Amino acid sequence: MSILIDKKTKVLVQGITGAQASFHIQRAMKYGTKVVAGVVPNKREDFHLGVPLFETVKEAVEKTKATVSVVFVPAKSAKKAIIEAIDAELDIVVVITSGISIADMMEIRQRLLKSKTILIGPNTPGVITPSEAYLGIFPDSFQKAGNIGIISRSSTLTYEVVWELNKIGIGQSTIVGLGDDFIVGTGYGEIIEKFNNDEKTDVIILIGGIDGNYELDLAYKYAGLDNKKKFIALMVDDPTALSRFDGIASEIICNGIIETYKKREVFKNAGITIVDSIQALKYELLK
Amino acid sequence: MIIHEYQAKKIFKKFGIRVPEGLVAYTPNEAKISAEKINKNGPWIVKAQIQSDSRFGGRFSDKRAGNKGGIRLSKTIDDVYSNADDMLENMLITNQTGAKGRLVSRVYVEEYIKSCKKYYLGIAIDRVKASVMLFASTVFDVDKAYFINVLEENPEEIFKLNIGTNRKITTAQANELLNFMKSNASTEEIKDFTNRLLNVFYEYDASLLEINPIGIDKEGKIWVIDAKICFDPNALHKHKDIQVMADEAEIEEREFIASKYGFQYKELNSGIGIIVNGDGLAINTMNEAKYLGMDTACFLNLKGGVDRDKIAASLKLIMTNPKVDGIFINILGGFLRCNLIADGIITVANDLGLNIPLVVRFEGTNKDEATEILEKSGLALLIAEDTQNGLYMIKKAIEEDL
Repeated sequence: MSILIDKKTKVLVQGITGAQASFHIQRAMKYGTKVVAGVVPNKREDFHLGVPLFETVKEAVEKTKATVSVVFVPAKSAKKAIIEAIDAELDIVVVITSGISIADMMEIRQRLLKSKTILIGPNTPGVITPSEAYLGIFPDSFQKAGNIGIISRSSTLTYEVVWELNKIGIGQSTIVGLGDDFIVGTGYGEIIEKFNNDEKTDVIILIGGIDGNYELDLAYKYAGLDNKKKFIALMVDDPTALSRFDGIASEIICNGIIETYKKREVFKNAGITIVDSIQALKYELLK
Repeated sequence: MIIHEYQAKKIFKKFGIRVPEGLVAYTPNEAKISAEKINKNGPWIVKAQIQSDSRFGGRFSDKRAGNKGGIRLSKTIDDVYSNADDMLENMLITNQTGAKGRLVSRVYVEEYIKSCKKYYLGIAIDRVKASVMLFASTVFDVDKAYFINVLEENPEEIFKLNIGTNRKITTAQANELLNFMKSNASTEEIKDFTNRLLNVFYEYDASLLEINPIGIDKEGKIWVIDAKICFDPNALHKHKDIQVMADEAEIEEREFIASKYGFQYKELNSGIGIIVNGDGLAINTMNEAKYLGMDTACFLNLKGGVDRDKIAASLKLIMTNPKVDGIFINILGGFLRCNLIADGIITVANDLGLNIPLVVRFEGTNKDEATEILEKSGLALLIAEDTQNGLYMIKKAIEEDL
């Protein structure tokens, strides 16, 4: 068992013929991901990377029974592609694209209110079940299966944590990158719940973003769960947070919380263990 | 991206929002002429145009400007002249500018709107809810830290309204706002004013719009006293008229160059220069460096897709920063391919020479290819296995270099 995907999950890729998509999807297929379809409006060929191409998500789903999508479509046309995937009622849509505008994301989130689709990203490395399959752009070195579930707001810090955990023999059940953009998708609550119910996952790790309040939302969701699994949050203090005031000014007046010490309080109250370095995280896991 | 107050007011005016008459001036003499054009008798307000909140409470680095801040009431034409003279070519320091302050290259001379009741009014985006939020407060003209305290300790002093992605507020919502403000403005007036602001917000893909404060005069007319608009950088390509308003003087030179390549660059103290490919990794590397007793001079976040030339340009930025005494390149390639970074390092080393210690750590996509490129290059750089190891190496290399 794993959450969200495994090697049997049928994956379609929107924008598969682009250079970045081709490079990363080829790697994902080699890793074990079952890519069954590519979606390219105005396609010029019938196959790419050995995968059949379709002009619409709907057609691809009908012909191949794909249940999840990975979106590599450039920012300016990403909204249309994402909404197409939501309308096709896919279970999960992972958006790798970065640079999608806030207005587009607000519109997408409105659509999601009436949908069961879980949107992961944009600007995310994606979702991976080590040694089985991944949706996204993970490094090849993510290979070690194990009992740790990871939810993260920072892609590079995830790479660093996984690398350090693998060195001491600790593998992961599933890793979910929530995305680094101003507005990202939904489904945190469900992901936390899925991890909590997953028999392969013993400990859940949250790698916090350095700004934003998405993590607080997660903490509240976790606090409301029954039979909680151990939950450790890696929260690194940011010496530059205040110097980036303008970028997060919106955040401040909406939620009033930017300082990590205030986040820490919310986490503690939810029963989450907080660590402030990868060393401390390792120590907590080996204890 | 942020624009100046006078630029924001120009946009408001175009959208039919009431702003006081005002003109921009680059010299004290221009300020004087502007004041005469606006209104023969005064009084006027002279406002330093830098992109910062709390200009009123700020102070100037040059003592000739006295202790008064960057927004000054001027009763006579001579006052306008001398206040403009104090501010222009002087550095204004506020709690958002850092100790150095920002150069005032222009002032805005404006008619003074008498006997107004003032309020904070803001439109922002709640990330978690993915909704547009409208704020109003009886606490105005204060800095953000103070505002947060008010939010936490006296929430009743702040009015908060979730308007989703609606482009207009309803009459009922306008009445709610009016009840909070206890103002003499009419429902129609407040509704029209708010809807015009929302129009600006949506039309220009703003991420934050603050009027701090608005003023409501005795007749119930609403005025924009101060104005600030921040724009969503991901939508700027749609707004050429906003792009040209970018003021390069507001951004540190290196930061500006980095932003042109799509990178994030930040200067801190003196010490090591860090090049990474993600925010989280940047913070973690800086913290680990701190544990080892090293300070960070600057960090550069390459983010995602880059090519050799961009890498070379960014490396140059850090190598030419005099406060950097060693560079640690810490790359965890996912989307980003390590071999591109290696190519960039070689390009810049051939170009500038490698005159300070450099440690490189690669992990992830195309790591082996990248390591091979560097090893074959014969450059005097060190290759590390992980973050800690890399930081130890750069520490030692700097000590030996000194």
